[in-house]
Amino acid sequence: MDLNPEIIVPVLFWGLYAGCIYILLATGLNLIFGVMKVVNFAHGQLLMIGAYVTFTFFVISGFNPYVLLAASIPILILVGVTIERLCFRPILGTGKLNEIFISIGLIYILENAAAIIWTDEWRVLHSPYESITIMIGGMKIPLDYLIIIATTAGILIGLYIFLRRTSLGHAIRATSQNRKGAMLVGINVEKMDMISFGIGAGIAGAAGTLWVVSGQVFNPYMGSIPAVKAFAIVIIGGLGSIPGAIAAGLLLGIAENITIFTIGGAWKDAVAFIILIVVLIFRPTGLFGESGE
Amino acid sequence: MEIVKNRTTLLVILVTLLCAILFPIVSGNVYLLTVLIIMLIFIIFSSAWNFLTYTGQGSLGHAAFFGIGGYVSTLIAVKSGLSPYLTIFFGGAAAAFIGLFIGVICVRLKEWFLAMVTFGFAIIIQVLVVSQFASTTGGWDGVAAPPLISSSIPNYLLYEYYSILLIAVLILILFRIILNSRIGLAFSAIRENELEARAAGIDPVRYKLFAFMVSAYFAGLAGALEIHYLGYITPEIFGVDISFWPIIYSISGGLGTLAGPVIGTVVITLIWDSLQSMGLTYARFIIIGVLLILIIIFLPKGIVSLPEKIRSIIDARKRRI
Repeated sequence: MDLNPEIIVPVLFWGLYAGCIYILLATGLNLIFGVMKVVNFAHGQLLMIGAYVTFTFFVISGFNPYVLLAASIPILILVGVTIERLCFRPILGTGKLNEIFISIGLIYILENAAAIIWTDEWRVLHSPYESITIMIGGMKIPLDYLIIIATTAGILIGLYIFLRRTSLGHAIRATSQNRKGAMLVGINVEKMDMISFGIGAGIAGAAGTLWVVSGQVFNPYMGSIPAVKAFAIVIIGGLGSIPGAIAAGLLLGIAENITIFTIGGAWKDAVAFIILIVVLIFRPTGLFGESGE
Repeated sequence: MEIVKNRTTLLVILVTLLCAILFPIVSGNVYLLTVLIIMLIFIIFSSAWNFLTYTGQGSLGHAAFFGIGGYVSTLIAVKSGLSPYLTIFFGGAAAAFIGLFIGVICVRLKEWFLAMVTFGFAIIIQVLVVSQFASTTGGWDGVAAPPLISSSIPNYLLYEYYSILLIAVLILILFRIILNSRIGLAFSAIRENELEARAAGIDPVRYKLFAFMVSAYFAGLAGALEIHYLGYITPEIFGVDISFWPIIYSISGGLGTLAGPVIGTVVITLIWDSLQSMGLTYARFIIIGVLLILIIIFLPKGIVSLPEKIRSIIDARKRRI
């Protein structure tokens, strides 16, 4: 096939849109890792819960699903804080393997609790703007794509301002840079753990809402594949680096779309993994990672 | 070389073995026999997974090796007509080869990366088996696998049981020999402090890679055994559950001990089956998940450490009085 600009531009744009959800997941993972040095392997399941919260509120209230971000984010923050308090805090610092394996228990609990509450059927929800497209520079763009990209950008900018401009944000960054130093200057690092886990989970909840709104199907066991892509982004971008996650997320979204157009849809889910392997071979710390970690 | 440390341990092992040998003959219950066979296969699988943790590594995607072993052994057995008792070793070898590939990329990296990469690998390989390689693997429908022993032979299940028991015991003895040798010492050195191990002249990358390959090999062999026992293979073998079971068994039994995966597999399987007979479907996963978290928090060394823990609690009580 020939790659002319008429195809390339939309493919890149769709890549940007497809990358959004993964960027949100990866940003949450990085925030949590930065502060607690823990990788939450159940992060994809938080997205799944976010999707179901959105779905439930939509069925009950009939509100515009985008408005339901106001429900999924706070509820997931609560879920995140609970998980941090009950599961991760007791084992923090007792060995990396424990911290990895506790997520397995969480995955089982979250997936099957969702299956009990919402049954394991595949569900789908349609955005009210599904049929609306906007012409930009001769290109037909679905309005949903624009809103999803804008929402993602808004969340990331909000997070940036929070981390850079507020004193709580400064305390979180201090904890992530040097935990002992932060303790010495009087920061309650355990509180920072809780807050950053909560924010990470909240962002995963937002990703869940966007997943639903973008018309993708979901069931209680769907969390693993987005999580794998988020892990790929986290590794490619460098563990703990939020700008790295954004760049890697865009790269992945674009690569996925180019794959669909060139090799075929079946490889879509595998491409993230192949890029990951290639990056790890040549740059074991990720494209933007520091050489130390 | 001393294989077993003291007499009590030897006695426990012999009694367990005797029970394992006599139980099927005495009970004569076919259903129990099928449960025991699956249990033995998962003892091999969990022990293989647990072998990795001796070097401080952890995999979240051993289903990939389990499944590769199953598929390769099945396809070879179908194409060549060889006995499954031979092809399972090819299945293991294929798993070890893929393991080497993943290991080379990951062993130099932090624990997180290996866990993330293996977790992703098992899921991606399922996607590929279903879509890209569907013509050879039969897609979601899977393929029929030749049985270990033809079902026309009387008491074939009993023969299968004893052959798998023999394989399991041999593998555990092999692990014991490896871990008692210099290699085992190098493993502990790497697990405790990689930098110091390197200063002592141990090459962590080589040993970690070795552990990863051995682990993948026996995971593949266990997968092949399971598939030939069941008689068919589908891509569900790469499911997240299959990756998680050996982890749950090993952690509940006791990480980094030979007895851990054996005890864990038996105890958790019993709990699982009794939950099933109570008619719980999703709730049993939740119960197992909660149990796993509780064990990690309150009994980090697993069921193996329970007698010791109880003894120390009793001692503490006595001292107070």
